[in-house]
Amino acid sequence: MILRRPLLSLLSAIAFVIMLGPVVILLGVAFTAGSTLTFPPEGLSLRWFAAALEYRPFIDSLGTSLVVAVLSTAAALALGIPATLALQRGAVPGKAFIENLFMTPIIVPELVLGLALFQQLMVGFNITALGTLVIGHTVLLLPYTVRVVGASLALADPRLEEAARGLGAGPVRTFFSVTVPVMRPGIISATILAFITSLNNVPLSLLLTGPGVATLPVEMLNYVQSSFDPVVAAVSVVLLALSVAVALLTERLVGFNKVFGR
Amino acid sequence: MELTSRNTVRLLLLPGLAVLLFAFLYPVAATLAAPPDGDPATVARETGALLTDPNLLPVIARTIRVSVLTTLICLVLGFPTAYLISRAPARWSGKLLALAIFPLMLNTVVRTYGWIVVLGGNGVLSTASQALGLGPVQLLYTETAIVLGLVQLFLPLMILSSYSSLSQQDPRLEDAARGLGAGPSRVFRQVVFPLALPGALVGCTLVFAGAVTAFTTPQLLGGSRERILSTLLYSRVNVSLDWPAASAVALVMTVLVLVVAALSGRLSKRGSTTS
Amino acid sequence: MTPVVQLDGVGHRFGSAANGVAAVSDLDLAVRRGTFTTLLGPSGCGKTTTLRMIAGFIRPTSGRILLEGTDATDTPPERRNIGMVFQSYALFPHMTLTDNVGFGLRARRRPAAEVRKRAGEALELVGLSHAADRKPGELSGGQQQRVALARAVAIEPSVLLLDEPLSNLDARLRVQMRQELLRVQRETGLTAILVTHDQDEALQLSDTMVILNGGRLEQQGDPRTVFPAPANRFVAQFLGYDNFPEVPGFGPVTIRPEHVRLTAAVTGEEAATDSVELAGTVADVTYQGSHCLIGVDTAGGRLNCVHPGDDFRPGEAVRILLPRHRLVELADAHTPAGAR
Repeated sequence: MILRRPLLSLLSAIAFVIMLGPVVILLGVAFTAGSTLTFPPEGLSLRWFAAALEYRPFIDSLGTSLVVAVLSTAAALALGIPATLALQRGAVPGKAFIENLFMTPIIVPELVLGLALFQQLMVGFNITALGTLVIGHTVLLLPYTVRVVGASLALADPRLEEAARGLGAGPVRTFFSVTVPVMRPGIISATILAFITSLNNVPLSLLLTGPGVATLPVEMLNYVQSSFDPVVAAVSVVLLALSVAVALLTERLVGFNKVFGR
Repeated sequence: MELTSRNTVRLLLLPGLAVLLFAFLYPVAATLAAPPDGDPATVARETGALLTDPNLLPVIARTIRVSVLTTLICLVLGFPTAYLISRAPARWSGKLLALAIFPLMLNTVVRTYGWIVVLGGNGVLSTASQALGLGPVQLLYTETAIVLGLVQLFLPLMILSSYSSLSQQDPRLEDAARGLGAGPSRVFRQVVFPLALPGALVGCTLVFAGAVTAFTTPQLLGGSRERILSTLLYSRVNVSLDWPAASAVALVMTVLVLVVAALSGRLSKRGSTTS
Repeated sequence: MTPVVQLDGVGHRFGSAANGVAAVSDLDLAVRRGTFTTLLGPSGCGKTTTLRMIAGFIRPTSGRILLEGTDATDTPPERRNIGMVFQSYALFPHMTLTDNVGFGLRARRRPAAEVRKRAGEALELVGLSHAADRKPGELSGGQQQRVALARAVAIEPSVLLLDEPLSNLDARLRVQMRQELLRVQRETGLTAILVTHDQDEALQLSDTMVILNGGRLEQQGDPRTVFPAPANRFVAQFLGYDNFPEVPGFGPVTIRPEHVRLTAAVTGEEAATDSVELAGTVADVTYQGSHCLIGVDTAGGRLNCVHPGDDFRPGEAVRILLPRHRLVELADAHTPAGAR
């Protein structure tokens, strides 16, 4: 393939270098013994990992990020699954319009949504930063849960449910013994995707900060803009390792490409 | 019985719609029309100023230029990558695709941070260039840096969208074209690319919209010197605390994204009816 | 005369040389100009791999392929001048029929006027001139197959390669398209190689049929020679023989059900010297109107016969007469493939 397609292979090699090169370089920077952002590293040490652990805002914001990710993922599932059930099985008039409505949070720039929530909810209704973060992330994740769970439901034959009813199962029994198992892969995929999306978000979370409340990526961004030591590289490597672990887990559960390849 | 159960099922939509209304539609509409310390007239005035101010027009132009360049480079690099992945042996294609998607799991600070090390004044690139006797290069805080960072950010989206079109193509079409005497480049130009155009178009839309609205990467790699709309919006809110002006930037940004999304929707619809 | 296509000890292994799987082993084949050859065998027998090697989509791992007398083993498909018709049709969905059919000529950089003229002629040959400006998606399966044929013929290939082109069509259309295929091949005088798993198709179309199994050649020849005299049990079974009785005085043999004669056990009729006689018991009778299919158990195994009357019932003892000249002696009834 590479020999037969020299130009395409070259372009795709460049693509992979651009996608992964900067991340690989961080690995080197994080383990440096020196105190500047240089590559290759000046000797090896773990000092920047220790420094990252000692920096309070990172630990605090990691807590905030996890709380926000867990709550908003749960809320987006709790709102999204019933909505997608109604859309797929309820013969809703204007189905296409409502489906598109649920997708609109993806189209509006996140920074704009963040600004809007900051102005209208935080300032306007006096909701706390943490509360607004959870609400904002819930809105951001809702399209993912509706679409991903909906996709698994749309693929399943609605006659399965009719068959169950025909065999004498009541609506509740049918729901739990047929509909839920059919949705399960979609729910697992949506949960992983939503959780990661929330954890990584910057633009929406950027303006939704309060005293002692900020998400980890935003705290990392602030740190990078004010200091030039490799602490954030160390944090990045920790996140990278966690992502690899999550990726492997995802691969075992439902298939990595299925979850993130949409 | 059937009717009532249908109606109960429909009720399940309500909580989601309520949250969408309260936490999305209302705040966004309110902010775009009239922020807390302004009214529609102020936002309109600010938008007019933004679109005529000689100091701000370059920001809009830069935003569009950076986004177009990012989209084109992503297409040129991402489509061939998706093609090679889709035509690789099965045991390779899954792994290559996973490798291309994996960066999506990392936050943008992690993904962009490496560029500072590469492009900075003492960076990898500059050191290499000095070693070659070409003198230092400072790409950090330039448009080039922003484009590079955005290309890195959005290549996975282009690869995924193109891949989903390419992997559905009957591989026999390429065999047929080659059997009829077409060399690899003719096959690519006349068969593979035209048929995968819908996917590539979706990819272009996603990349363009992403590039227009991206914040972290232009903030870190462009700084305050090379502002684009998103970083301008942030400074309006956080530095100059000028909310109506922020709303005006938000409005321009949103309209830009919506126009492009609508255009590409049009294009792909036309494409699907003619082919 | 130089064969149009010649395979010299061609083999193909998938995977590594050490632990790969041989799809085709040591195959020799010579295809004469203007003839219709079929590669026949069950799925996985290597017939499609062989065709794709001739087309150049797969490189043989051993042996040579000669096209028009010159070694083409390393020639890429686009420089082999082959016309290929695929099972999935593989028509370009974004092009009109004219553009599809003219694709090969455009790839050869022929002038636009010539491309249009010859594409038109090819479409006319398959009776689709009226649909020239439509796109493949608007056509039925049978029509799409005709376009695929026209597209392959338009470039005046040195050989027409057909990869199970009829297997996606329904039974009635398939029979109709066979005639069509034969007509086009005769009218154009092209050399054709067809891959199929359908013995009827092979019998009807071939000048030469090549029967493959497990990547090896089992038998080849004119259908009129091969059909009455299958070389071994595999070929016999594949051609629809299902009687493999043990007959005293013979090695492995087979016989077609319509050649087996049954008479009542009690008639004192003399055994004819030109037949072998066996004793048996009727096991089952299937009524078919003009005849009955009767299964008879003998000491040498089950025999199926086509019997003109309906005068036997299960459990009856019968005499079975096997005309000697109808018994086909097989080379290797029980030796496993590969031991040959």
